[in-house]
Amino acid sequence: LLLKESKLMEKNPMASKGSPLHGPRIRVIEQAQKLFAETKENMFESKASEEYAKLLRVQHELEISTKQAIFVDSSISDTIRTCIVLGNHRAALKVKNEFKVSEKRWYWLKAFALATVRDWDALEKF
Amino acid sequence: MAQIPNLDNAPLNLNAIREKAQKDLLDMLLTIRGKKCLVIDPKLGGTLSLLIQFSRLKEGDVELRHLSAEPVQTDSSNVIYLIRPQLTVMKTIASHIQNGISKGIEKKYFIYFVPRRTVACEKILEEEKVHNLVSLGEYPLYMVPLDDDVISFELELSLKENLFDGDTSSIWHVAKAIHKLESSFGVIPNVRAKGKASTKVAELLNKLQTEDPVNVDDGAPEINTLILLDREVDLVTPMCFQLTYEGLLDELLQINNGAVEVDASVMGAQQDAKKMKVPLNSSDKLYREIRDLNFEVVVQVLRQKTTSIKEEYAGVKTTTEISELKDFVKKLNSLPEISRHVNLAQHLQSFTSKSSFHARLDIEQTILELQDFDSCFEYIEEMIHKQESIVSVLRLLVLFSLTNAGLPKKHFDYLRREILHSYGFEHMQLLYNLEKAGLFKRQETRTNWLSLTKGLQLINEETDTANPNDISYIFSGYAPLSIRLVQHAIRSGWRSIEELLKLLPGPHLDLKRGTPNHVDSFAGAHFDRVPDGRRSLVFVVFVGGVTFAEIAALRFLSSQEGMGYDFIVGTTRVVNGNSILEAIVSSSG
Repeated sequence: LLLKESKLMEKNPMASKGSPLHGPRIRVIEQAQKLFAETKENMFESKASEEYAKLLRVQHELEISTKQAIFVDSSISDTIRTCIVLGNHRAALKVKNEFKVSEKRWYWLKAFALATVRDWDALEKF
Repeated sequence: MAQIPNLDNAPLNLNAIREKAQKDLLDMLLTIRGKKCLVIDPKLGGTLSLLIQFSRLKEGDVELRHLSAEPVQTDSSNVIYLIRPQLTVMKTIASHIQNGISKGIEKKYFIYFVPRRTVACEKILEEEKVHNLVSLGEYPLYMVPLDDDVISFELELSLKENLFDGDTSSIWHVAKAIHKLESSFGVIPNVRAKGKASTKVAELLNKLQTEDPVNVDDGAPEINTLILLDREVDLVTPMCFQLTYEGLLDELLQINNGAVEVDASVMGAQQDAKKMKVPLNSSDKLYREIRDLNFEVVVQVLRQKTTSIKEEYAGVKTTTEISELKDFVKKLNSLPEISRHVNLAQHLQSFTSKSSFHARLDIEQTILELQDFDSCFEYIEEMIHKQESIVSVLRLLVLFSLTNAGLPKKHFDYLRREILHSYGFEHMQLLYNLEKAGLFKRQETRTNWLSLTKGLQLINEETDTANPNDISYIFSGYAPLSIRLVQHAIRSGWRSIEELLKLLPGPHLDLKRGTPNHVDSFAGAHFDRVPDGRRSLVFVVFVGGVTFAEIAALRFLSSQEGMGYDFIVGTTRVVNGNSILEAIVSSSG
């Protein structure tokens, strides 16, 4: 079982370093997720891989809709911040709900992002 | 002031070690005739700068270069590479040689490995089909004196290699280095080791002694006791923020090879934006005096010194006595040292006066005392939410996990998820590595940290940082675990704390060495006193790195009244929490 686990881990860096083309990369991550799901000990890793694949899809969509290649390879928090900085609050809220971001973290991210764009009015309102 | 430390006050003749190393290097160059170009591995540059002035290397027709991917351009007919035995370096050199061949340039190539050649490296040269074109040699540099009481084995990644890679070559290197010391200073009769790597070093040391014996009859050995400790035994201490002057300099500005690099404007120079190197070692008398004090006290000492000079200056203005003037001029000579440290201290204060700095120290203390789990947890959670630098988050998190013997599953999974969300999923490998090494993990057993703090008196509520009577002044209340172990080891050996040692990772070992008749002469008399009443010398070796704060604690101990010991510290490298974690983060990419 140990051997199997280490093999699983080897899969993973491959996934994160995969080609910039989303198709194959997401597929590798989903493969890793399935492998993780086979053992009980790797529930956490399995869930994380699932979210990772989902995030890449969301980021891909965001890049198409905003026509800016600035989302892929950033974290969930960064993605939310970028959305708010761009003034796209609806997209930010959508990411927040999709990944069940806690209110605590959400407020930090929103405050930082609004401060970056110096949107003091919005900052005061919320 | 030079970066090469003055070693005249060393308790052991370290000058001899350094001179031997210098001579070996110069002799090596002399054996090669004609004009030569010495190409130095950047990884060795810092080490060599502690050993020899580069101007001395240039004597006798030597050009100096740093190794890079670019082929070496030189008129010299000899190209000498001085390198660490690393596979990537071998590939670079092979490409240089092939480049030379393709251009029809004929040169003689030499490769000197530091400290020794390895089969793997030679294999690469064979694969690249250049092995017939180079002469191979070794430059057996196993250690460099970092200061008059610190020896570095210059093994940058030994901790990471031992923890994650299962690469134990550093253990062999450390044993070999100590064996070399023994051949100059005699077989060390008492050896105490704690930790997996350390006990292996002790065993290897015995093996080396049987294979290549050091003569034990040449009078009494100069080093009385060797204490070997794995960094793994105490990872708590390096995660704590160092509060001595030298420790703070290292935490905030990074001391490399006995010097810090700061903006020239910090040091009061006009041209800003330029970087400036400030050497820091005991050749600087003032630094020697203040480096190991708690930073709060350093500020006061510097203030006193400047006011006393000011007052004397006012007095001198009215005097006509030549002798008084002479005295005053003598004092003025120390002015450059004072101003250097006033500048540095001021720069440090711009960090330490922030309220966030104090909040962090408070949390650190709370974690060490195992108090108020929830507020510590929330503090770290907030750091992650604010996306503070991952290394500074991990430093507290690792400390939190170490003292609690891991975090309850709920908290563990929550924080892991928040980290991945905030810093990116590519950190999964990092989290896995930290878990494997036991640095950040799920709680499985009850923590024994409280038994350790009680048994070894690690937490001292009343610490007087100005007039300390215990090593806990170093961290304003926490006495470093590693140094407490050293204290016990020299006082009474491991036996008295056997139960506590079992709570820490790795086996421990207590050895007596030397010929039987030597052992006899020590029996009866307590071993810590050398018969003729000299202070006895203890060599404390940290396998996996030591912090400046811990070195300060050892210096403090030997300065205590009634302590008949001097310490020499040996370490694979000087570390702090950041450098340990950065090595792990960058290798988990």
